[in-house]
Amino acid sequence: MTGGDKLPVLAFRAPHIAKARPRAANPRQLARAAEALRQATGTAPEPRPAPAPGPIPAAPEDSFSPVGIPRRRPGPAAAPPEIRRGGATGGTASDDGGPGARRILSLHLPRFAVERWRREALRRDEAPPDDLPFALALEGAQGPVIHAVNPAAQALGIAPGARLVDMRAICPELRAAFADPRGDKAALDRLMLWARRWCPWTAIDGTDALVMDVTGSDHLWGGEAAMLEEIAARLAGLGLTCRAAIAPTRGAAWALARFAPGLCAAEELATRTDPLPVAALRLDPATVRTLDRLGLSTIGALRAVPRLSLARRFRAGLPEADPLLRLDQLSGRMPEPVDSPDDPPRFAVQARLAEPVLDPLPHLPELTRALCAALAAEGFGARRLALALYRTDGEVAQAQAATSRPSRDPDHLLRLFDGRLDRLDPGFGFDLITLAALVAEALPDRQRRLDHAAEDADDLARLIDRLSARFGPQTLTRPLPAPSHIPERQVLWRPALHAVCRPFAPRLHRPLRLFEPPEEVQVLYAVPEGPPAQFLWRRQRLRVARFAGPERIAPEWWRDRPGTRLRDYFRIEDQTGRRFWLYREGLLGDGRGAEPRWFLHGAFA
Amino acid sequence: MPETEKHPRRDVPQQAEFPPNPPSAYVELGLATCFSFLRGASDAVDLAVQGWSLGYDALGVADLNTLAGVVRMHVAAKRVNVRPVIGARLALVTGETFLAYPTDRAAYGRLSALLSKAKMRDVEGRWQKKGVSDVTLDDLADHAEGLKLILVPPADLEGFEAALPRLARRLPALTHLAAAHLYRGDDRARINALERMARAVGLALMATNEVLYHAPERRPLQDVMTCIREGVSLAEAGPRLAPNAERHLKSPQTMQRLFAEWPQAIRATREIADACRFDLEELAYEYPREVVPEGRGPQDHLEKLTWEGAATRWPEGIPPATRAVLEKELAMIGRLDIARYFLTIHDIIRFARETAQPPILCQGRGSAANSAVCFVLGITAVDPAQHQLLFERFISEERREPPDIDVDFEHERREEVIQHIYAKYGRERAGLCATVIHYRPRSAIREVGKVMGLSEDVTGALAKTVWGHWGSGIAEENVREAGLDPTDPLLRKALLIAGQLVGMPRHLSQHVGGFILTEKPLTETVPIGNGAMADRSFIEWDKDDIDALGILKVDILALGMLTCIRKSLDLVAAHWDRREDLATIPREDPRVFDMLCRADSLGVFQVESRAQMNMLPRLRPRSFYDLVIQVAIVRPGPIQGDMVHPYLRRRAGEEAVEYPSPGHPHDPGELKSILGRTLGVPIFQEQAMKIAIDAARFSPAEANELRKAMATFRSRGTIALLQEKMVGRMVARGYDEDFATRCFEQIKGFGEYGFPESHAASFAHLVYVSSWLKCHFPGAFGAALLNSQPMGFYAPAQIVRDMREHGVEVRPVDVNMSEWDCTLEPVSSGGFAVRLGLRMIGGLASEVAARIVAARDAPYETPEDLKSRAGIGAAVVRRLAAADAMRSMFLDRRQALWEARSLRDAPDLPLFREARDEGAEVPVALPAMPVCEQVVADYQTLRLSLKAHPMTFLRKSLRAQGYASAADLARAGQGQRLKLAGLVLIRQKPGSAKGVCFITLEDETGVANLVVWPKVMAQFRRVVMQARLLVVEGYVQRDVEIVHFVAQRLEDRSDALTRLAPGGLVPPLSHADAVKNPVQGSARGSGAPANGHPRNARILPPSRDFH
Repeated sequence: MTGGDKLPVLAFRAPHIAKARPRAANPRQLARAAEALRQATGTAPEPRPAPAPGPIPAAPEDSFSPVGIPRRRPGPAAAPPEIRRGGATGGTASDDGGPGARRILSLHLPRFAVERWRREALRRDEAPPDDLPFALALEGAQGPVIHAVNPAAQALGIAPGARLVDMRAICPELRAAFADPRGDKAALDRLMLWARRWCPWTAIDGTDALVMDVTGSDHLWGGEAAMLEEIAARLAGLGLTCRAAIAPTRGAAWALARFAPGLCAAEELATRTDPLPVAALRLDPATVRTLDRLGLSTIGALRAVPRLSLARRFRAGLPEADPLLRLDQLSGRMPEPVDSPDDPPRFAVQARLAEPVLDPLPHLPELTRALCAALAAEGFGARRLALALYRTDGEVAQAQAATSRPSRDPDHLLRLFDGRLDRLDPGFGFDLITLAALVAEALPDRQRRLDHAAEDADDLARLIDRLSARFGPQTLTRPLPAPSHIPERQVLWRPALHAVCRPFAPRLHRPLRLFEPPEEVQVLYAVPEGPPAQFLWRRQRLRVARFAGPERIAPEWWRDRPGTRLRDYFRIEDQTGRRFWLYREGLLGDGRGAEPRWFLHGAFA
Repeated sequence: MPETEKHPRRDVPQQAEFPPNPPSAYVELGLATCFSFLRGASDAVDLAVQGWSLGYDALGVADLNTLAGVVRMHVAAKRVNVRPVIGARLALVTGETFLAYPTDRAAYGRLSALLSKAKMRDVEGRWQKKGVSDVTLDDLADHAEGLKLILVPPADLEGFEAALPRLARRLPALTHLAAAHLYRGDDRARINALERMARAVGLALMATNEVLYHAPERRPLQDVMTCIREGVSLAEAGPRLAPNAERHLKSPQTMQRLFAEWPQAIRATREIADACRFDLEELAYEYPREVVPEGRGPQDHLEKLTWEGAATRWPEGIPPATRAVLEKELAMIGRLDIARYFLTIHDIIRFARETAQPPILCQGRGSAANSAVCFVLGITAVDPAQHQLLFERFISEERREPPDIDVDFEHERREEVIQHIYAKYGRERAGLCATVIHYRPRSAIREVGKVMGLSEDVTGALAKTVWGHWGSGIAEENVREAGLDPTDPLLRKALLIAGQLVGMPRHLSQHVGGFILTEKPLTETVPIGNGAMADRSFIEWDKDDIDALGILKVDILALGMLTCIRKSLDLVAAHWDRREDLATIPREDPRVFDMLCRADSLGVFQVESRAQMNMLPRLRPRSFYDLVIQVAIVRPGPIQGDMVHPYLRRRAGEEAVEYPSPGHPHDPGELKSILGRTLGVPIFQEQAMKIAIDAARFSPAEANELRKAMATFRSRGTIALLQEKMVGRMVARGYDEDFATRCFEQIKGFGEYGFPESHAASFAHLVYVSSWLKCHFPGAFGAALLNSQPMGFYAPAQIVRDMREHGVEVRPVDVNMSEWDCTLEPVSSGGFAVRLGLRMIGGLASEVAARIVAARDAPYETPEDLKSRAGIGAAVVRRLAAADAMRSMFLDRRQALWEARSLRDAPDLPLFREARDEGAEVPVALPAMPVCEQVVADYQTLRLSLKAHPMTFLRKSLRAQGYASAADLARAGQGQRLKLAGLVLIRQKPGSAKGVCFITLEDETGVANLVVWPKVMAQFRRVVMQARLLVVEGYVQRDVEIVHFVAQRLEDRSDALTRLAPGGLVPPLSHADAVKNPVQGSARGSGAPANGHPRNARILPPSRDFH
């Protein structure tokens, strides 16, 4: 997890127990099969008994869970399915478990990309005023193409799909930046996980929307209306515009969220959706245009056409070209479950102590081992650990540690907390200790060497971890190559804990030690370009016995101040065999100052 | 397709003197020009001038795997009296790099053939990708005879020594090893090591500085180019950039100092340079032999053809005057030895006329085309004897340049001519010229900005301030105008470097139609590379390079109007049984001129643009020569020179025709002979030139310089100098200073978009022919226009509208009536109606239409019937239904679409043909489709509607709000204030109109011409650029028969169009709309017509880009 644009981080959660995902059946096929079955038998499906809450069944997940009923999910987050609608708002009496009884919330974020960019820019204090037209662009075949716009730009008629230069011509004050669709996707993923605070059955719907199966969750928020308010307020706090609707089906919720946001009870499904244009059926533009040309431009008009006629005319392979399928999905005739992906694995262990202890140390090895076992089971390694010690009086003491590469070695992880807990005030003792891997990365098992010798890189990583844990991550740095010809700019020092090690390109003729700053020396040389013959350094007079060079390094014109002079580097050896790296700054008559000056920049071993 | 606008070619300053240098001890042989794309950072002119001033007497040019830059280097070096040593830098696919210098013509041919092979076929022998050249060691060894090869060692010498003996064995031509002293720190050790290695395998050391730019100040540009090439920013480029600025051209003395320890390396350069005496001028041009029959001389043959042709043109005997002209011209052709040029063109034209089936219409133009010889050979249809177009005016004996004839062919069939040329002469002997695509200010600032880390906003703002023009760079006020700080150092550097990058070549592309044909394999003259398209290959040199070497070129151009004329003539022949061709159409028909005087010229060649239409009623053309003037006068040249109004006044008799005359003692009538034809006002390019020669006493050399300055608008310094010279001399000879200045202004205008009389005459002929067709056969002409789309100025909707206004009945597309093309159908009342063809339906393929027509032995009765009998897909039937093409089945659009939807693409097998399995069809009552929705759907599928104009549906509400229609406008009086509303057809902002924007609005009653003055434009810019339905308030301005509406307030009401139908209406804009299709800068005089095929160069007065 990198820093930067983070929508809210998930609250701490209990450890996840790994389990095989149920085989993904094509919900459409199954829905069709169920539909055919229902038509064949002429009865509505049996109301399904709600699955009992409680412990997870041994191996039920391999069989397909019933259509329309969310799969059960381990952990405490799964709301007991019996608890249906709590509030009175928008609820219906029918509670038969059929498709009509579901409540689906569609959450459309019409300006997600722009608003996310703006949030980022605000953080950097670079956001343009909201009333200036602004657009995000993607690189197209003929220059940048607009990807998303803010309301001010939209008001001026600037729409996605146009070329940025054309729009700049129309609207010279248009500001633009490049869009980051992958970043948007990742942010929407995070938002989806975060949105599970309202309802666990949350999934991504396209590039700018979420869909939630809020059946039974709304009472926790005081009813559906209150829930929508809460969602809108929270998202507004994040700077996101949203339009949301709750309806008995996913199709209806999608349509209403975009065309008439609000709540829609099961019995008013038809009256609410009939006036909407057919574009609300999630159809592609070509199909919408065909329907318009046929005079079937509203959902109501489409619904009035006999099914057979529609089926015969629109039997396209894709759902977005099949108005009948979409109509059935809207009306609930064709179930369309919310397929909510699993949470990413999270690792945390805890020790509840019967008696408060003053010294938590003896409990740590056990906790660390448990955590590492959980990590090993998932094939992960920890990058950041958080240890929380709960005092009996409610105070919480925290300690964090980080590793430079993923690790699940309990001894090593334990050592990172060495000495970190000494100065804690235990008060009347701790009675709960939790240890969590805040950041974990995949760490596949590797073949160890036969002699069990640890590999050098691992040793170095452990050393870095321990030293960083002991002295703070900023104290331990490592050199990284930087792209430059100027010797002192070729190395960047970065905290070792986070630096990704990159090898230095082999460079010949560089001294082992560089003087920072270079030391000025008095040099005797043949003007204009001759090598040094003798020089005075730290009050020693050194005679040049041998030399090589010059190596000419010109200033970096794009970042150096104007007037910066070039350097001619010489490798020299004095009469005693010591080798130095000298440079002359500038040339006589280069127009950038008077006499060139000489500096001693380094010493060879 | 990138704009093929020409970049003014840089040249060595004309004034400066460059005395030859004595032979220098050292010759730089590792010179890369900017044609080593994104490597070399200086052009030939800078390198040559710098080389001369450093004291070189010879310079070797070696671009990376190309000879594209050698002609420029040759020209520039010759100009400064430096001998160019022509060569190339060859990088093998395996990484070894050589400098290759041919010693003689044969070796040069081998080098060129080697590069051609590398550019046309990849290592495995497949079609090579554009811009890639794969040279292998084997190829090099096969072509190395006569080459001096110099091996360039890699930066890292590890393993080099081991590989050296193998290379030396494999390449006997390899004689030297290049050594460079580039201040890398270990240069001395490195050169010593190289010398040791070289000696071990019997090679010698040769000094070079591996020059990438002419002076150290160019290092920033070279760094930026490296970053562009590598796709990185400067901050992250690091070791990819050179550490210092040492790879500039150093003086021989400096090089001698650097190589003081290795004098033999310096001597080697001199020896190689002296051994390589090949000069590009040895590439003497040889005409293909096929054009002259065995045993005949070209002049003989041309004379024979000429007299034969003359006998056919004048069966009752050649008029004596014409005979004299012909004899004079033939004598001149003989003196200039250009008979084979005429024969080559005659051969190509004969293919189009006689061999191609059906014959392809074509017409020549250009300086030599308006000769009597060309007329009798059939190259042109303009009889020069009748129009006093004299050959000498177009060919100068002093210049000894090859004559210039461009031949236009029907745009749909030009490819046949090109393929014929390839087939006849072979790809080794015929090739298309290249066009060098240069960095333009906008692309330069964008690329430089990206590399330097400027944000998209900043580069976008900077790029926007550039008005698509060359040379000017980006001025400080532009930067300030863009809201940026011009004192910001990074920005300053970016602008400086972008200014240097402007005009650097970026890549080579294919020229629109310039062919060169040779006798010997062309690959031995110039490398041929592949284009991006399949089966396209072109040579590495552009038109100017060809000219510089005196190689002959034939322009094979495409002209949409010729297609249209041929189709019209075919229709006339088929339905009226009247066979005409370009030469036989009755001349000087007064009805045709009556029509043109009414500005009734929609669809007519050249004079259909709004500016031309405005000019027609003022100029009132009554004869062919008036058309020649009409075509030439609405051009930036005459407009900038303020020659238009004087001419009109004199023509209308409001002003006396007088000729400016010099003072005593010069001949007061000297201008009368020049300007007599144009009432004393210079209109054509040649007249302006002739004034310079006769009135300003320019010598032929000075005139030539002026001509070149006109052709390629050069640095302001040169222009100012020439202006001073010309105006000064004219004033000195007693001319009015004002007149002299205007003449020069006009020359400047021509410089950008010149229009010589010979071109004007050729074009005027097509104007007349197309007008004649429109006048006498409006239906046939309109149908042919529709069948030749895309071409011309107007969209099909306007063409159809114009036909209906001329009383032609236009019938809708119908699967039972229409062919692929628009056709003529007899009407019971006599005459013909136009039946729109299936080609009008967007997205329908011609093969499908052919199948529909072929299977139509009886009318199709249902969509099902159509699908099964014609054997077409259900999707096509749906497309036809959506286009409302099934009325003859008694199905309107909606019902047809409903029926067509139920069809499906099942395999055509007996089992599947049976009735359906889902059950009986239930009749569904679909709501009737309102007319407004019908019209919108018509526009969506056909881009036009015969049912109604979209504005009809808004008229009631508009009238209630007090809006006038276009018809009301025609009746309104001068200065009357009105409100108008209409669909936007064209928006134009011609460069010569000083920021005025012209908009053409259309409603159901006609069109209205809006004038938007710059102040109003600034205020309503967004509305002007975005609106499709425009609402205007303003007042009427009348002039002669022209009504303008001056806009004062504009409003975008495109939203009203969305209320017509659910999807909304997007009315089609005309091809010439300057907002949708910005015409940037545009090509100059020579070129094919406006906006047709993208390959056609444009000759419309360019409208400046709106950006």
